[in-house]
Amino acid sequence: MRGVGKIFHHEMQKILKEKSLLFGFILLPVLTLFVTVGISMLRPKTSGENVDSYSMFFYGLEIDSYNIGALDDKQIWIKKVDENPADFVLSDDFHHSDVLVDFSDVEHVTIYYYESNSVSSYLKMSAEAFVRESFDTAYKGQVTGASFRSVELTDINEKDTTNRMIAMLLPYMLILPLTANIANFASDTIAGDKARGTFYQVMLSPVPPLSLIMGKIFSVSLISLVSSAVYIGIDILGSRICEAAGVKDVFGFAGVSVSMSQILLILLYAVLLCYLFSNLGVLISLFCKDQNQAQTAQIPVTLVCTLASMMSMFRFGTSPSSHYLIPVYNICLIFQDLLNARAKMDNMLMVAISLLVLAVGVLILTLASYKSEKVRT
Amino acid sequence: MITIEHLKKTFKKNKVEAVKDVSLEIRDGEIFALLGPNGAGKTTTMRMLSTLLLPTSGKIFFDGKDLLKNDEEVRSRIAFLTNEIRLDGQFTPDELADYYGGLYEMTQEQINSRRDELFDYFGISEFRNRRYDTFSTGMKQKTSLAICLLHDPDTIIFDEPTNGLDILTQQLIEEYLLKLKEQGKCIILSTHILDLVGRMADRVGIIVDGKSVFCGTVAELPESQGVETIDQAFIKLYKENHEEKAIVGRHGNN
Repeated sequence: MRGVGKIFHHEMQKILKEKSLLFGFILLPVLTLFVTVGISMLRPKTSGENVDSYSMFFYGLEIDSYNIGALDDKQIWIKKVDENPADFVLSDDFHHSDVLVDFSDVEHVTIYYYESNSVSSYLKMSAEAFVRESFDTAYKGQVTGASFRSVELTDINEKDTTNRMIAMLLPYMLILPLTANIANFASDTIAGDKARGTFYQVMLSPVPPLSLIMGKIFSVSLISLVSSAVYIGIDILGSRICEAAGVKDVFGFAGVSVSMSQILLILLYAVLLCYLFSNLGVLISLFCKDQNQAQTAQIPVTLVCTLASMMSMFRFGTSPSSHYLIPVYNICLIFQDLLNARAKMDNMLMVAISLLVLAVGVLILTLASYKSEKVRT
Repeated sequence: MITIEHLKKTFKKNKVEAVKDVSLEIRDGEIFALLGPNGAGKTTTMRMLSTLLLPTSGKIFFDGKDLLKNDEEVRSRIAFLTNEIRLDGQFTPDELADYYGGLYEMTQEQINSRRDELFDYFGISEFRNRRYDTFSTGMKQKTSLAICLLHDPDTIIFDEPTNGLDILTQQLIEEYLLKLKEQGKCIILSTHILDLVGRMADRVGIIVDGKSVFCGTVAELPESQGVETIDQAFIKLYKENHEEKAIVGRHGNN
């Protein structure tokens, strides 16, 4: 590993000297704070008439003061609700068309999901659609499955729901900027050097290929991690500012409460993820002649990773062990598990090992590719 | 001393045989000029000498050591400068010297001493704290040369080193090459300027269509071809060895 420190130091200096890069990846996120706060303050419109106040816990998201419209025939539903108008839990086989309930005359209703509920993701994500559709169906006198029942609240409590929002969003919030940052920095670090003619001078030095590659990977990992951390920090800060100002955001952000061990574990996995992505980015960059070609070649990786992180947003309850072997998606699951305080040691190990194995595999491929003609001509 | 034996390079991608059979001997303390028309295989040969490219077959020995088996050691003893090679534009010559000196495992003391010597010689000292990308072409070339030579290499490989430079910079570089030769360094020059070869080189190697067709002293070149000048000898060798078929083939005829 002779020379790896020097390569790393030089690469970091190169990035820090490039003001435009710094602006785009460190300062720009800070400026987005205002946007985050602004978006957080957006609220749905209310018509003023036929609006009844209710609140609903929707997988940890509280939505209140919502306009659910008027409903003429409310008899059945009011009766049902009257049984226990305060709290309801939806059953495991719940489907939105089965539950038809009018909340319009109820001052306060809270709906809780069980974590194991396999309800459609659409329903969970779109509260408005859910409420309106349910009402429309009830109004038209269609199927009334009506398995609405009063049940004890068990596993859902205030603490559990605290990190639900961040757990759902973190993989996406982390992976999107991370892949974008790495695609950019990795493209510049080798393909950019090739285009500028500076790569060959380093190749001519007696530094072993492993040191050269590792130095570049470490620098890409570090700067991408810092930049992504800034993005996440800004998002959380925006919500905190809203909270402090007494303004709830559109989702009724449930807040963030994490312990030091949770933070450290999340950081550890973020570092592993960064290392894997940087390896991939450098491998792709190695085969490209300039930054544009490299950035284009990185698009499929960015898309797949973003897709995996988005898929994890619609995951509820626990996942089978096999899901913890799917690269990228598995780390999203771990982030969620860590924040929801339900991470299992075997899953955590499986994910860490699979990430490392994959990263080492890519590194070996990169080193083998380093001597190829395509890289050197 | 560098010995090249039946060197061959075929690029896999387009199946081009850039170098077919090159055998040369380059001695310490001499300036060796590598001549050949465009596309003859000079640059590919030099890239193989500098370890940037791997040969398809054949051997290169540096002081009897196989290049492929000792590539890191060889890289620490050579310098290779072409017009394609640039330095990071965001850095000053001082910073670049620190970085590249570090890669060659030089101590800070060694770096400072060599840097001062080379920067003074090439007139870079007064610009040592200015970014490389703000320099003129000539100043960039001089800085690249100084950085290349920082680790005091035994063998210096120059691919058309004075291309695009003004006469004063050309003269400065030529004088420095002669100085290096006096120090016992081995200098390999690839150039199209035959006048430069006549003035500076001790020995000459000529490559035509990927094959070495001559290797000897500058004085032997015209003698061996029965002509009076290097130019005439070069043209004669080219005509005798150039494969017309290759050109006809490129135009799609039989």
